[in-house]
Amino acid sequence: MEHQIEVLRAEALEVIGAVTDAATLDAARVRFLGKSGAVTALSEGMRHVAKEDRPRFGKLLNDLRQSVTSALEVQEIRLLEEADASAAASLDLSLPGTFAATGTLHPLTQLMDRAVKCFRRMGFSIADGPDIETEWHCFDALNTPPDHPARNEQDTFYLPDGRLLRSHTSTVQIRVMENTPPPVRIIAPGAAYRRDEVDATHLSQFTQMEGLYVAENVSLADPKGTLEFFFRELFGPDTDLQFRPHFFPFTEPSYEIDIRTGALGDRWMELAGCGMVDPAVFEAICDRRGDRVYDPETVTGFAFGFGLDRLAMNLAKIPDIRMLVENDLRFLRQF
Amino acid sequence: MKVSLNWLRDFVDCQLPASELEALFRRAGLEVASVEERGAAFDKVVVAQVLESAQHPNADRLSVCKVDDGSGTPRQIVCGAKNYKVGDKVPLALPGAVLPGDFKIKTGKLRGVESEGMMCSAKELKLAEDADGLLILPADAVVGSPIADQFPTDVLFELEITPNRPDWLSHLGVAREISVFTGLPLATPGIPAPAMAPAGPAVSIEADECPYYTLRRIRGVKVGPSPQWLADRLISIGLRPVNNVVDVTNYVLFELGQPLHAFDAAKIEGALHIRRAAEGEIFRALDGKDYTLGEDYLVVADDRRPVALAGVMGGEDSGVSATTTDILLESAVFEPSFVRRASRTLGLISDSSYRFERGVDPEMVASASARAAELIVQVAGGVADEIVLEAGTHWARTEIPLRHARVRSLLSVELSDQEIEEALSGIGLEKSCGGGDSTWSVPGFRHELSREVDLIEEISRAIGIERIPSLTAGFFSPSSEPDAAYDFVMASRHALVGMGFSEARTSTLVSVAEAAWFGPAVELKNPFGDDQSRLRTSLLPGLLAALKRNLDLGAPSVRLFECGRIFSAAGEESRITMVATGALSASDWRGGTRRNWDIFDLKGAVAEFADLSDGDFVPLPNPPLPFGAALEVFKNGIRIGILGTLHPAEARRLDAAADIVSAEFHTGAWMRAWDAAGAMKPLPKFPGSTRDIALIAPLGLAYGDVRAAVLAQNEPLLESVSLFDLFTDPAGKNLPADRKSLAISLTFRAGERTLTTEEVNATTDRLKAGLKERLGVDFRE
Repeated sequence: MEHQIEVLRAEALEVIGAVTDAATLDAARVRFLGKSGAVTALSEGMRHVAKEDRPRFGKLLNDLRQSVTSALEVQEIRLLEEADASAAASLDLSLPGTFAATGTLHPLTQLMDRAVKCFRRMGFSIADGPDIETEWHCFDALNTPPDHPARNEQDTFYLPDGRLLRSHTSTVQIRVMENTPPPVRIIAPGAAYRRDEVDATHLSQFTQMEGLYVAENVSLADPKGTLEFFFRELFGPDTDLQFRPHFFPFTEPSYEIDIRTGALGDRWMELAGCGMVDPAVFEAICDRRGDRVYDPETVTGFAFGFGLDRLAMNLAKIPDIRMLVENDLRFLRQF
Repeated sequence: MKVSLNWLRDFVDCQLPASELEALFRRAGLEVASVEERGAAFDKVVVAQVLESAQHPNADRLSVCKVDDGSGTPRQIVCGAKNYKVGDKVPLALPGAVLPGDFKIKTGKLRGVESEGMMCSAKELKLAEDADGLLILPADAVVGSPIADQFPTDVLFELEITPNRPDWLSHLGVAREISVFTGLPLATPGIPAPAMAPAGPAVSIEADECPYYTLRRIRGVKVGPSPQWLADRLISIGLRPVNNVVDVTNYVLFELGQPLHAFDAAKIEGALHIRRAAEGEIFRALDGKDYTLGEDYLVVADDRRPVALAGVMGGEDSGVSATTTDILLESAVFEPSFVRRASRTLGLISDSSYRFERGVDPEMVASASARAAELIVQVAGGVADEIVLEAGTHWARTEIPLRHARVRSLLSVELSDQEIEEALSGIGLEKSCGGGDSTWSVPGFRHELSREVDLIEEISRAIGIERIPSLTAGFFSPSSEPDAAYDFVMASRHALVGMGFSEARTSTLVSVAEAAWFGPAVELKNPFGDDQSRLRTSLLPGLLAALKRNLDLGAPSVRLFECGRIFSAAGEESRITMVATGALSASDWRGGTRRNWDIFDLKGAVAEFADLSDGDFVPLPNPPLPFGAALEVFKNGIRIGILGTLHPAEARRLDAAADIVSAEFHTGAWMRAWDAAGAMKPLPKFPGSTRDIALIAPLGLAYGDVRAAVLAQNEPLLESVSLFDLFTDPAGKNLPADRKSLAISLTFRAGERTLTTEEVNATTDRLKAGLKERLGVDFRE
């Protein structure tokens, strides 16, 4: 019996070791462990074994069954692994992928959103105002004299009722202060209009980002720190900024901001205007509100603005501003 | 305005190179639009005269010349040009000269013949962009003299001057700024303060818009061409010389910033009156045109007629002409807004009006008159009256108090009193009283300074932005309604992008035709052209134009959306609009059948985009143009938009080969309909059961009616109804041609137990019976 067991073990391990596929594996399993398999048949022989020998032969038989079972398992795993490997190997992975195409956000929107996210990190919230504005909001309240050239019909679109299409988003500064007591800290992305002939560098409608911070003790150090941080967030820490004294009717002191950065080709570009809110603007707001919460002796503030179109053009090397509104999918899908 | 560096050096001895001067200007707030270096400053380039010219023995295109370089010994020069003749004077670069491009001249052989230098073209001396042949010099050029004498060097700065700095509209003003930022002394021109006397009856100011007027008589002038130095200076800044008297007035304008006018004294009848024009009064300006004036115009008139439109332009028949011998020289101050209005409404813009409308230096009026008189006598002869006649009132200087604490807090810099005071005295202000705070008297050339904040700006400019710290702190602003709207629209944009739509941006300004579909459009009073004369009433026309452009470019499929504003008499609203046409999916190597976008694809897309179900779409029986078929879209019972397929005629107009589908949403209504993150619905604990039923219905019966008829039976166990097959057979083989088969899946569930087969079947049977009764439909088993 003992000999028989060892012979069968040797035979079984040899047969199982030679298994090549699922079919021969199954055949081996049936041959040795099946209902009428060899191991089963040998177990039947236990009936003829002397009683005192039964535990020892029982153990031997059990060992035999276990070693056959584990040999079968080893082969089964090997076959499965081989099949998995060949399944992956048979794929032509150079075939193109197939999935429904997604769309893209307009490059101006992407830029605007980056700017918005950055200002929100700095604690600004968004404000809004209408595109169709009154002369008061667009000019008078912003300390622009009645005979200022920007107000004439050559440069600004008017409606028959005397209202106009805002020529800058600075109108939102006025809207906000009219309706909200200080402190205010806002940005306003939006459209503005100028009566320009459309060509490669001009559109009659363009996109601006406006900002305003009014509170007690706001100083010139605030716009400097805020805009340095912003433009370095936008273009990288190596960005150089230059605040160049300038003139705007609604801020004093006023600056234009020139920027030089690798993303814009390492040359100085005039990108933004900023300054401390002119006391005359606060006085206009006080008159309109009928209170003194914006008394320039109590609060100070800064404002800034910049155009997004030219910035987007320079960042993506877009040669013609009209491409931003032609909506050619071959253009849009690049962003 | 153009300024000449040579001219600036009359006032300040500035030897900075052009690039550093440009940086100084920018730091001061003077924008430099361009810098132009002129002249020929070369060592060893001299005037030479061609003495002989002979053919080069070894080269057809070259000649060998003998030239006189002033040394007494003729030089041999090989030359390739053809445009000269013997006797001409030309620039000659001697050995050792270095021309632009680091081109070193030396003696050498050209095709075997020695050349002791090079005769130059204008291009080689960088005097012109392009040049054919040698630069031929005037016959009176002195042989052997440096070429720089013929072409003196200068640097011309084109400056863009902001309206707050009228003092920069003159060479003196710009030189003053150089002096402030370099510390170099300003050499004010030696102008004798003239003796002044009341004009009496000779000048009568009859309008408040002329605060001050002066007049000086110069007798016995001889009008003629200006001397070269005067003409050259005017030409260098882009002016055309006229005659010596007029040129002097222009010269003084650009030198000191004060516009002057010279009348021919013989043509002035009686006294000069500065008065408002009479209604309908005609003025013939020196451009030869007649202008009809009114009471809003200020004129200088003699006893008979206007002789100048004050500050803007002189009259045709009272100005200086070749026969003039006595002149009356006007130097005055006119109200800026009056000059501006006259100049704008009449379209008469002059160097004079440009300065008056920004405000001239009231302290310069008499000095400028004196300077001009001096120059006129110098270049045109004659004798100036000793006395300058004046009328009106002298300008009183403004006194501005300054709180030093305010300076420090607004600039965030701990400036000392001394620094503050040095900054202001540096720009020419005079401290009239001091202590901790100070009071400042403003000279005429900075008359626009009137408030404390104006002084603080000057201090910030003087100390430089580098002194200002960078602060990164501030009030944390709470989020606003526009913040919520921004986030909503941005989330919508991202969702649409995920669905394959690309974002477009179209113009707010549209044509009459494009604005016609959605009610009356707001109109512009002064549009730039007819195609931009209205404000859009919908984003759809712009998107359809973009769609057509892409189709014309051969795009097989177009999916676009836009988020933007629309306009009507009622106000402005935000819209989200999408359009699609062409292939639903791109072709790929798996093959399979492909379809074009149709209204059901868009309805499905919108259902996903807006989280809607079947019942939120309500067909519109009479769809508005440009739609041929359309549905209204509701969310939580609020109408949020419309979706549809374009009328076939509109699609044909756009040359579309397939359906064009579009949806437009009212962003505001949609936001109102949005139920913000409510509590979750519990997940079902027990399995549901599904039964499929197949109806045979008349072709005209809408699925919506079937669905409604199922739901109307209010079966409590019915969880959902969905259509999974629609079949018609026009040939009538498997189904009568006037029937359709609708296969509907019904899902049943109870919240607290597993349903039995019996109750599910019974419910299904009741529903079928109900459908049969309500709609008269049959069922396929």
